[in-house]
Amino acid sequence: MTPFSALLIFVALVLFVVAQLFLKHAMESDLRNPRFTRFFGAGLATMTASFFITLGLLQDFDLSYLYPFQGLSVVIISILAAIILREKLTPRLFLGAALISGGVVLVSLS
Amino acid sequence: MIQKAKELLLNPWFQLALSVLFVTTSEVFLKRGAVEAPRLPEQVNWTGVSGLASLNVWYGILFVIASFVSWLYVLRFIPLTIAFPLSNFVHVLIPLASWFCLDEIISTQRWCGIALVLIGVLIVAKPVARMEEKL
Repeated sequence: MTPFSALLIFVALVLFVVAQLFLKHAMESDLRNPRFTRFFGAGLATMTASFFITLGLLQDFDLSYLYPFQGLSVVIISILAAIILREKLTPRLFLGAALISGGVVLVSLS
Repeated sequence: MIQKAKELLLNPWFQLALSVLFVTTSEVFLKRGAVEAPRLPEQVNWTGVSGLASLNVWYGILFVIASFVSWLYVLRFIPLTIAFPLSNFVHVLIPLASWFCLDEIISTQRWCGIALVLIGVLIVAKPVARMEEKL
């Protein structure tokens, strides 16, 4: 993996995480509220950018190797949802999220 | 019968399962499409837009849209701290689909990682299942 590929994987991951937070914000709003349009648009744009970068990466890497990198987003999203969206993050949920991320890293290293 | 189907479709947990299945299917189509797509010069190839020349990529995009719609419905009803870890069941299904449909080789270490993901998903899912039983 070249440094540029690693950077693209990182950018795709960040865009994916940000998109999830935008979309959750949007879906908690009334659909006619301008807040919904704003957050939904931002979520859609970041999700689309992440999608095309991932598609480009798929030309060079195995699907089963590349996709699990996004698994790192589990812990990141769980923490950010607790901080930004003020959702309840129990130790059990965090343990589950950490194991998922650990599993994903193991898959990625193989 | 129609009422039961409607209730099932409106169930956010069912939509979560659908979303996971749609993501897995889309990834298989996208990988097939990305491989058969023409390669552009190195400077622009990373954008992935050449993939749009493949029909498989378009099938993949349809499944991406379907999973996205299901996921939006899930987001409306289930907290992100629960829904997102559960949606990671795709990390179990996608390697299995890659092995089954794309003939990709899965090493022992990769199988161990998949097992760890599965345990994590079960840990998150267990209290949710109990909560649902009580309801």
